[in-house]
Amino acid sequence: MVEEKEITVNIKKYDGKNDPYWKTYKVRADRYTQMTEVLRRIKTEQDPALAYRASCHMAVCGSCAMKINGFPRLACRTMAFDVMDENNEINLEAMDYYKGIRDLIPDIDTFYDRMYKVMPRLYADESVIAGENEQRMTPSEQKEVWKFQECIWCGLCVSACPSVRMDEKFLGPAAHAKGYRFIADGRDTKTEERINILMDSAWRCTSCYMCYEVCPQDVQPVIAIKKTKSYLNEYKGNTEVTEMARKHDDTVFDLINNTGKIKESTLYLKTFGFGEAIKDINYMRKEGKLKYALAKDNDVKNIDEIKKIMGDKK
Amino acid sequence: MKVAYYPGCASHGIAKDVDIATQLIAKDLNLELVEVEDWNCCGGGFMDDKSEEIHTALNLRNLNKVKNMGYDKMATPCSVCLNSHRIAADKYEKDPELRENVDERLGRANIKYEGGVDSEHFIWVLIQDVGIDNIKSHVKKPLTGIKVGTYYGCQLLRPSSVMGFEPAHNPHSVMDLVAATGATPVAFPMKAACCGFPLMGSNPDVGLKMANNIFTNAKGNGAEMLVHPCSLCHLQLDATQLKIMDRFNQKWTMPTLYITQLIGLSFGYTPEQLGLGKIATNYLRSRGF
Repeated sequence: MVEEKEITVNIKKYDGKNDPYWKTYKVRADRYTQMTEVLRRIKTEQDPALAYRASCHMAVCGSCAMKINGFPRLACRTMAFDVMDENNEINLEAMDYYKGIRDLIPDIDTFYDRMYKVMPRLYADESVIAGENEQRMTPSEQKEVWKFQECIWCGLCVSACPSVRMDEKFLGPAAHAKGYRFIADGRDTKTEERINILMDSAWRCTSCYMCYEVCPQDVQPVIAIKKTKSYLNEYKGNTEVTEMARKHDDTVFDLINNTGKIKESTLYLKTFGFGEAIKDINYMRKEGKLKYALAKDNDVKNIDEIKKIMGDKK
Repeated sequence: MKVAYYPGCASHGIAKDVDIATQLIAKDLNLELVEVEDWNCCGGGFMDDKSEEIHTALNLRNLNKVKNMGYDKMATPCSVCLNSHRIAADKYEKDPELRENVDERLGRANIKYEGGVDSEHFIWVLIQDVGIDNIKSHVKKPLTGIKVGTYYGCQLLRPSSVMGFEPAHNPHSVMDLVAATGATPVAFPMKAACCGFPLMGSNPDVGLKMANNIFTNAKGNGAEMLVHPCSLCHLQLDATQLKIMDRFNQKWTMPTLYITQLIGLSFGYTPEQLGLGKIATNYLRSRGF
């Protein structure tokens, strides 16, 4: 006999017009009860007006994304007993960032808009479409795209991303994972166009690993963004963001290659230019940090090792 | 106890005070920090934007040095260095193709990576090996009554599948250490948000906005000071704090300390001995320290 417990579920209700409010429900559950099942019990037994989305109950459709105890998760992949606190209580809210429709249902149209901006499908060669050639992919290419094509469009990463909230030019984690997935796919014919769409946006990511953390499919969008950034030399465009990124990126590389370490003062000068660097040094002086800014650390003694490691592949 | 110690470039540069305070309290706690021989920059957060293979190889060179020194653990005061070494070791283990490339690169320098070294944050060592009770027993000047915002940032916590020390959405390490000093820890909603430092080399306007949000959120929740666990957060939130306050027309400042600086204060060290900046020093003077 599996032990049942009565759990308390607080749900943030919203009618689409008035301020949201919290409503409390008591439900029985055992250690096999998913949060989507908890919601089904509440809706069928207590509150037919409760609004939430859930279709597949097996982490494939991505529709039950919500905040559970403040953390973005899929309800179907979350067991009630794993998340309830010492008082057997659980809080449910709609995802952050998106406009609310009703209760736990957000309007994720803006998520789809982001995805469509990166042309989320394969553009095959004409000869393949005409049936004259086979569509081939090497095992190594397949491995490279595998993780990034597992996205289920649930919207959790975008809801949790700080850059999305603060920078409208950032396409968001999911779109980047999708975009890179086709850059790395040798069958696709739009690589240059994709790099043009993605490059400026990639350098607007703050690498905080929030998307990696919240993704229920382990897509690791931030890694896709980092891989996209490594195509910077193939990018022919130039924006304010990519121009600064180029200077910074190259200086970091040269400093490590030549000294084995990052020298902040050199990095400042080369990235921001003399004028901006002086302004920052003045701020540091006011905070009493100038003595550290001018200090010099030892270079790596065995610098040849570093040069060999960083050199081009033989 | 002896631990291999990886200071990282920032704490030997503009964030030198992170290193100063860490060395001071380590001595009091009988932790001998043995610097990793001829260590190189981990390239954390930047080098993997250019090449995953080079980034991984550079980090494994450091871990191999630690192994050759006879240690199985490397402690660093910097969350970015921590994240960088752990991610590199994780990728190397899980990705056979990357491993092949990295082995070839290391081979050019006659390095054979053997594994068996765990990178840990200095505060993990404080909590797991030194112990909170032991730290409390060294407190000579409890920071009673000071409300300290406990900030974690991103790299210490995420991805939790690789970092592993505590739950990313409900961390407690910094809070536990602040409580040990006698100060009152203040949790605030943005405690695990990014400070914006990684954007300073490409999109500084948004990077500065992120830092301002941390200050405003901590202050709004009653914090009078802020502590953090990262040398690069230190550059962003302490060394160039006045730039952020100017940019957003804030008429106040937020004294920001690295976690070992706060512990050092409770151990009886002066702000000068701990290398504190002027904002924190002036504030602490006004509070009688």
